[in-house]
Amino acid sequence: MSASDDGNSSPRSQFASHCFEDLLDSIIVDVASECHRIARLGLDRNLEEEEEELRLSVQARVADPSSSSEVNSKNVVDVFGQTHPAIAAEILKCMNCRQPVVAGRFAPHLEKCMGKGRKARKVTRSTVARSSHPRGSPISVYAPYSNATSTNRAPNGTSGRAGEEYADYTYGEQ
Amino acid sequence: MSSFSAPSAGGRRNLYVPQPCPHLADYRSNAHGLAKPFRSLQPCLRVRPLGRPEIRRDPHEIPRCGPCSAADGGGGGMGPRLYACLACAAVCCPAHAPAHAEECRPGHEIAVDVDRAELFCCACGDQVYDREFDKAVVLAQIAAAAANASASCSLPESLRKRRRVDYRPWTPDPREWATMRRESSPLLLLDASDPFSTGAANTSTSSPPPSPGLRGLNNLGNTCFMNSVLQALLHTPPLRNYFLSDRHNRFECQQKGRRKKDGSGDSTGGHRWNPSGGSPVCLACDLDAIYSAVFSGDRTPYSPAKFLYRWWQYASKLASYEQQDAHEFFISMLDGIHENVEQDQHKPQSQGNGDCCIAHRVFSGVLRSDVTCTICGFTSTTYDPCLDISLDLDSNQNYMNVPTTKSHACNGANDFILSSQICGVSTLMGCLERFTRPERLDSDQKFFCQHCKVRQESLKQMSIRKLPLVTCFHIKRFAHSSIKKMSRKVDRYLQFPFSLDMAPYLSSSVLRSRFGNRIFAFDGDDSDAAIELASEFELFAVITHSGTIEAGHYVTYLRLSSQWYKCDDAWITHVSENIVRDSQAYMLFYVQKTLYYKASEDVSAS
Repeated sequence: MSASDDGNSSPRSQFASHCFEDLLDSIIVDVASECHRIARLGLDRNLEEEEEELRLSVQARVADPSSSSEVNSKNVVDVFGQTHPAIAAEILKCMNCRQPVVAGRFAPHLEKCMGKGRKARKVTRSTVARSSHPRGSPISVYAPYSNATSTNRAPNGTSGRAGEEYADYTYGEQ
Repeated sequence: MSSFSAPSAGGRRNLYVPQPCPHLADYRSNAHGLAKPFRSLQPCLRVRPLGRPEIRRDPHEIPRCGPCSAADGGGGGMGPRLYACLACAAVCCPAHAPAHAEECRPGHEIAVDVDRAELFCCACGDQVYDREFDKAVVLAQIAAAAANASASCSLPESLRKRRRVDYRPWTPDPREWATMRRESSPLLLLDASDPFSTGAANTSTSSPPPSPGLRGLNNLGNTCFMNSVLQALLHTPPLRNYFLSDRHNRFECQQKGRRKKDGSGDSTGGHRWNPSGGSPVCLACDLDAIYSAVFSGDRTPYSPAKFLYRWWQYASKLASYEQQDAHEFFISMLDGIHENVEQDQHKPQSQGNGDCCIAHRVFSGVLRSDVTCTICGFTSTTYDPCLDISLDLDSNQNYMNVPTTKSHACNGANDFILSSQICGVSTLMGCLERFTRPERLDSDQKFFCQHCKVRQESLKQMSIRKLPLVTCFHIKRFAHSSIKKMSRKVDRYLQFPFSLDMAPYLSSSVLRSRFGNRIFAFDGDDSDAAIELASEFELFAVITHSGTIEAGHYVTYLRLSSQWYKCDDAWITHVSENIVRDSQAYMLFYVQKTLYYKASEDVSAS
C-alpha cells in the first residue's frame, strides 16, 4: 500500500486488491462452511420462533404506550370485584410488642419495635450463632449476598440459654 | 479464523448425522470405513491453539493445485480452497477437483479441504460429513490443546448422571383417601352463588374465573419488594406443589424444633432458636403459612406481617424500613430456606444437585467457566452452583438508535434478528449470548497458565452446565458505583420471549461449537439428548420495577392458566399479554416445559 496512488492500475495496488479479495473470499468460505455444517447436522436455532417472539414484542409496544398500565392502578376494582384503600387498613397484632398496628404502617412500627435499621442496638441470638458457621462457596455467583454479617461480631461465649436478656453490643452498624 | 468465533449453533435437537452421499458410502465400504486413510491423515492434522485444524504434510508446506499450481491466497484462480484427495493425496483447486475425480474414478471422489479439515465430495460438489473423520479431528484438537497438562477438573460428583426413570403417578390408597376426606376442606372454588365467579371486574367479556391461590398482598410500608417476590414464588409450580402437598408441614417442623431446643443444649438447634422465646425460626414454615392463607379461598388481601417479622429476624442486616432490592430479598429468602432445612440433616449437602432443600431443588443450576490460555490453548474449567443468572443490559453504544417502529420495514426472514439489533432493541437472548460469549480478559487480569507456567492473556467463556427447574433471570438495572458512591437505574427496555429455548447456552452446545461442531460426544456429556430435551422453558412470572432507585415500585405479572394477572400489592387485575411484553422486566421466571424424573439416590429424600 504505497502512498503514491496512480489509480487502480499499478501492479502494486492490483496485488493488494487481490490479497484483499482472497482474504475476503476465505472469510466468506469459512462462514459458509461452518453454517453448512450447522445446518446439515441439525444444529441451527429455530429462527422462526425467535422472530415470532420479537414480532409480538414490537406489536405489543406499538399497541400499548407503556404508561397506561401504571396509571390509576390504585383506584381500580380488582378481579374479585373488591376495592382497597391506598394504605392497608387491616389491624394486625405486632408479634414483638403485641400492640394493634395498622397493616399499612406495620413495617415502620416493627422497625422501631425490634430496634432494627438505623437504630440497631440489639444483637439477636440467631445472627450471633450464625457467625460461627460461615458458609462455603457462594450460592449465587452473581449476587454474592453476604449474610455473614457478623465478621466483626464476637461469637457469644456462653452456652445457649442463659436468660432472655442480651448484652447491648454496639457494633457501629448505623 | 479462530474456532472461537464460529457462528452460534443452537443444538436444539440431537446432533443429526446425515446419510452419506453414495460416493462417501462407497468409499467407506471399500476402504472398510475411513479409519485407514485417516490414520495416514492423522499426522498431517495440524492444530494451532485456538485455531482451526489444517491438513499439511509438512508444517511449512504451502499446498498447490497439481494441475494449475494455484496456492492458498495467491495468484488468481478460484481463490484459496484446495482439496487433497483421500485416495491418492493429490491436491487440486476447485476448478480441477471434479476432473481429478472423473479421471481417476472410482474411489477418488472424496477429498479433504486442507484449510478447514472438512470432507468434500468432488462428484456431488458438496461438503459431506463422517463421524470417524470428525472424531479424528477432535482428538487431534484435544491433544493439541491439552498437551501434557491434565486438562480441566473432572465433573464433580454431584453432577454425575442419575438414571432417568418413568413417571409413576401416585394415587392415594383407601386409608389416605379417608384421611384426606376427614382432615381437609375443599377450596372455595367458584360456584353460581359466588359473587366473584362472574369475574365482575374490569375485563374483557369471557375471562375465566381467577384460579385459587390468587390473592393480593397488603403493602406493609415500602414492602412491595417483598410482595412482588412472594407472588412469583407462590406461583412457581414446583415450589407451589411442594408446599401444597404438605411436604413441609409447619406444625410438625415447629414441634421438632421445640423438642430439639428442650432436649439438648447443643448448637445444632441453636440457629433456629427464637430469641424472643417463641417457636423456632424457620422461613420455610412461614412460607408454608402464606401458602395456606393464599390458597384458602379467602380473596381479601393478606398481610404477610409475620413473614416480614421472621425475615427480619433472619436477615437482620437488611431489616429496616426502607425500600429494599427485590432480587436481594429473593436470594436472602432462598438462603434462609436452605439454612433452616440443612440443619435438619446435620450434614452439608452439595448445592449443585439440589438435594439439600426445596429452594435449591427448584432454583439451583450449575454454571461452567472455562479460562483458556491464548498461547498454548490450555483450558481451566470450574463449576459453580447458582440460584439465578444475573445479566447485564447492553449499553447504548452498541446499536444505532432507530425508533422501533422502523423494524416493520426491515422484514426479511433472516434479517429480523439482525434488524432488532440495528434498531436498538435489547433482547434477553442477546444478553444470554453475551453471557456465553468468549471474552478476552484484560491484560491486567492475566491468568496463570499451568501449562506455560506464566501469566498469559486468556479467554473466558461461561456456559450453563445444568439448568435448574425454574430459571430466574435478574436484569442488572441498578448500577452501583462504589467510587461515586451512588447508584443509578437503567431504564432501557428489554425484549423477552414467552417461550425460551436455552439449548444454545448450555455447556454441551458451547463446547461443541468451540471444537467446530464436530460429530463427537464431549466429556461427560454422553446423554446430551437428555439435557437438551429439557432445555425448553416458558415464562410464568415477571417482576417489574418502575420509578427511580429512591422512589420506585415493584409489580409482578403472573400467568395462571393462560391468563396474565397484574399483582400490584393488594390489587390484582387482568392484563393482556401486550402489557406484559411491554413491561420493564427486572426479574424473569421461566419454568421447564417438561419434567423428567430421576431415580432417587436416597429413598427417604423428597
